[in-house]
Parts: sequence; C-alpha cells; structure tokens
Amino acid sequence: MTDGRSWQGDWKVRLYARVRERGYDSLTAFAEARPTASLVQLAEELGKDDIAGVQVFSGLVAEAERSKRLTRLVRSQFVRELSEDFPNGWPTAVDDNNRFDIAHALARWCSYTPETHEARVKQVKAELLASPPPPGWRPLGPDDELLLTLLPDDEA
Amino acid sequence: MREGVVALCAVLIVSGCAGVEPRTGRGSSRVLRQGATFAPDDAAERRRTPGTRPRQGGDPIAPLTHEAVIAVLEEVKGTLDGIARTLPRLAKNTKGLGDSDGVFTRYTDYGASQLPWLRGALARATSLTDDAATVEDMDMRSGILRLTGPRIEAAMSGAMLLATWLDFLRLAEVVRQECPYYGVERLFVDLDRVQRQMEPAMTALASLDPEEVEATATAMPGLMGQLTREFQSIQDGARGAMERGGRVVAAAQFLEMLTLVSALKATLPRPPPAAPVMLGVGLMMGSGGVMMGSRIVVTAEWVERMRTLVQAGVISAPVVSAAVRIHAGQVLMAQANQDLPKGVRDALGDSPEVRAMRETGRAGAGMSSAPKHHVLPQEHREWFERRGFKGEMDIDQFCVRLEQSHHEAIHGGGDWRLGRLWAKEWNQNIMRLLRVSESDTGRLLTRDEILKIVATEMRRFDIPMTFSPGKRR
Repeated sequence: MTDGRSWQGDWKVRLYARVRERGYDSLTAFAEARPTASLVQLAEELGKDDIAGVQVFSGLVAEAERSKRLTRLVRSQFVRELSEDFPNGWPTAVDDNNRFDIAHALARWCSYTPETHEARVKQVKAELLASPPPPGWRPLGPDDELLLTLLPDDEA
Repeated sequence: MREGVVALCAVLIVSGCAGVEPRTGRGSSRVLRQGATFAPDDAAERRRTPGTRPRQGGDPIAPLTHEAVIAVLEEVKGTLDGIARTLPRLAKNTKGLGDSDGVFTRYTDYGASQLPWLRGALARATSLTDDAATVEDMDMRSGILRLTGPRIEAAMSGAMLLATWLDFLRLAEVVRQECPYYGVERLFVDLDRVQRQMEPAMTALASLDPEEVEATATAMPGLMGQLTREFQSIQDGARGAMERGGRVVAAAQFLEMLTLVSALKATLPRPPPAAPVMLGVGLMMGSGGVMMGSRIVVTAEWVERMRTLVQAGVISAPVVSAAVRIHAGQVLMAQANQDLPKGVRDALGDSPEVRAMRETGRAGAGMSSAPKHHVLPQEHREWFERRGFKGEMDIDQFCVRLEQSHHEAIHGGGDWRLGRLWAKEWNQNIMRLLRVSESDTGRLLTRDEILKIVATEMRRFDIPMTFSPGKRR
C-alpha cells in the first residue's frame, strides 16, 4: 500500500523511465518476462510507492494497440488474474467455497479488457463457467494451449 | 477528635482528594488522573491473555491492532463505569449544599450529561471493531479499524476530562464537608469557572469530528495544566480559610503529612515549578514502561498497545505523546507535540515513516482540503444497504480524499488523473465488477466479498485505505 503518490507528476514519463532502467525497451517486454505476476506486483516492481497497477495496465493496452497484439494482451491478463487468486491453477471442484473467487477473478478479467474485446471475453467466460477446464489448469503465459484455443489471435 | 478531623481535612486538601474515594472502590490514589484511561495499571489489564481474541487471516499485525483497540475500549469503558457509579453519590452528597437547595446539582448533572456521548462513541467504535473482524482483506480491515481512531481518541480524552471534573466535584464535596470556612458561593463560582474552561474541549470531543478531536486531544496537556492550577488554587484557598479560622494543624501532623504528600506528589500533575523544566526531561524508556527517575509514568503494556495503534494509524503519535506528558505531570507548558525524548517516541511507535504516512493520509500533500469521494458509489446506496452496508458500516464511512483539479491542467491534455478519472470510471468499473461477480456467484454478495472486490481495485488504483467519513448527499 502506498500513499497515493502514483498520481502525482507525469506518471507516464515515470513509468517508461523505470522500464528502461530495468533494461527493457517496452512495458510489454517487461511484463511478459513476468507472465504470472499480478498488476500490483508489476507496479510495485517498477516503483513501490509511485506506480499504480492500473497505470501499468493502461500502458500495456496502449502498446498492444500499436502493435496490434491486443488479443495476446487479453490472454496475458487472464493468466495474471487467474494466478492472483488461484496460484495452484483452476480448482478441482467449483463449490460454495470458491464460487465467489472464480466469479471475482473472471469479473476482473472482463473489467481489465479493452472494449474491442469485451464481447469475446464475455463469451469465453461463459464457456469456462459452463464447462470448466481440467482441475489444476494453470496457464503460465499467453501461449498456453487451452487459452489459445479459447481465445485465438485473429488480428490480421 | 476535632484535631483528627482537621488533620484529615488538611491531608485531603494538600494531597488533592486522594483519600476521598470511599474505600469500597478501587481505592486509586491518583487524583487528577484516577480515570486510568491513559495509563492503565488495573489488574484487569493483566488478566487479558493474548490469543483469547479470534485471530483471522495470516497477517500478524491486524489481530494485534484489533486486540489493542478492544483493550483500549475496555479501559475507557471501565473508567466510565467508575464515573457512572460515583456520580450519584456525589450528586446526593452535594445536593443539600449551599443556601438554596440543589445549586451544585447542575455540576453533577454536567458530568452525567457527558456519559451518553462517551458511551455512544464507545459503542460505535466497538461495533466497527467487530465489523472489522469479519473482513478478510487485511488492508481493508486495517482501514476500517483506523475509522475507530477519532472515536477512540475522543473517548479517551473525554473520559479523562470527565474524571478530572469528578475530582473537582469531590474536592467540592470535601471542602463543603470538612472546611466550613470556605464559602459556598466561592466554591460555586470556582466550579463555574472550571466548567467554562473545560467545556469547549468537551464539546469538541463530543462532536467526534476527526479534525476537532485530534486538535483537542493534542492540546490536552495544556488544558490539564490549567485545570491543575485551578485545583490547587481551590485547595490553597480552602487551606487558607481554615488557617484564618484558627484551625492550624499541629506541626508534627504537618510533617507526617508532608511525607505522605511527597509520595503522592510524584503521581500528581505538578504545581508550576520555580524554574521551568525542559519538556520531556527525565523521561526515558525502561523495562517497566516510560520512566521518570524510578517512577513508572505509563506501563510497558500500555506503551506496547499504543505502539501497535500508532503504527497501524489508528491513533496519532501526538495524541499519545500528549497522554504521556499528562502522566508525567508535564502539563504546564502547552507546547508542541514532539517534545518527548526520542527513545520514548520510538517506543510509542512514532517514527518519520508513521508520521509521513499519517500526514499524507490526513493533512499532508495538499490532501486535507481535497474533496472526499465515496468508494462505494452513492447513487447505488440501496444496493449496498441490501448487502449489509448499514449503521456504522454504511457507505458514507468509506470515503477517501482525492485531489481533483490540482495539477490537472499542468501535464498534458490526454493525461488522466485520479481525481478526474474517479466519478466516471471508478464508479462504473466498481459497479460492473460487483454486478458481474454477483451474477456469476449466483447469490447476493456478502459485505465482506464486496469489500474484497473494492480492496483489490483500491490497490490497483493505488488509493490508500485511509477512510475519512463523508456526508450523505
């Protein structure tokens, strides 16, 4: 928890300065090197007190738009959201104890999805809830096989 | 026999009303501080064993904070119960005093009239503390516990003031019973003057307004110093009246009394010293607590509890420093707060980081006047009420200060800033998350689940969980 300094000054300049300091030429490269880290973890690594998770996400979206790799970013975000609440992968059984956590993780995924991809993400979410993936499924990055099946790249 | 009575009277006067408390009670010998709120040394304190409180979650900090809050609330409650028991007796004993019946009743009434708000503040803080215990998210739980801070500070300081008022009432009782040469009218005027000195502080505390409470609690040493002088001036006046009345106590008895007085004197707020003492001088952190020479000013247990609360941001270091100063008797110089030696401040949990955190959270960084925003959108008040956000946990508690326009224009047009982002995007974002989560969970969300969702978003937006209750729109 920081003290709100993330929103003082020009945070975009700060964000990119930190990315370069850590030897990456893009925020995407920095983030892809940490595929299961949460947005808050990424932000804390870039600046414990003065970078916010939503700022990292906003930067990732901007880069993905430019490189036309938004679908890949959406898959990456799924990985981050899932491992934030389920570090051991998809639960063995969906029951009263974890139904909320699954719903919360998937809701966050929908929420942290650019508008262009919202409809597809909603559909995937419905599929996942209707026919759950194998227990223990734990995608480690945007190239996970099952994840690619659910949400293939279609950007021409 | 008569000499005995006079001697008793003199002892009482010289040593404050140390012996006035009927032996039935807890027999405290502390005068202006028998409200042990600030420095508990009650046996009840020691009976508390750690681990009797339910510990939830993995974070070891929050359960400690929770215990510390509960312990402080219980102390204040103990003080209030004692006051509530004493008031009727005082009311009865002072009722027939004076030429006309009941002139002193207004003073006992004034004391009694403070009890409801003090008990109310305690009840609200207790309710919040209980609610906090049901919250799984540790940051959020601490945030809710911090909401108890102003109520705790108000109750602690209010109970101490009320206990002081009781001392004056007891003094009046003794003076009336044992020192007939001191005029009733004079005593009446004395009490009136004291009440007027105390009233603004009491009113500010009763408002429970965080800023007013903080300012008043921090300024308590000055007020206590003033009240101590009043107390002594009434004592001196009564003694003088007795002397003029020819009731001079035998020299031998005086000597005996002086020994008694010197033992008590250390626990009393001091009379104005001939040469000004440096603030905080002589105070040091020892194994028994904060020590002044060989005397324990406040116990190690109390220090530890305050440390927990200060570090968790529940109560402020200046307020705790003020309490220590009152106990050290260094109440006569109304100076700034950072006047305790570093070792003692460290032990109380005061540190540059804590202070910085607090200042940023409360008043620093231009945030003190920044507008408050509801974290749980107001236009959906009923939605939240149906899911348990009622009473002490209504959505108005969950407000944060965010600067809105400051810097907004300076850095580039396309830049989004938190204040500007807020109303549009936060509200939509949070409501969508809540609704989608609820519909996929297949039942109404619980209050704790909602707080979990909100806490996750607050962390992502880097909004400190420092809540500042707002107004209903």
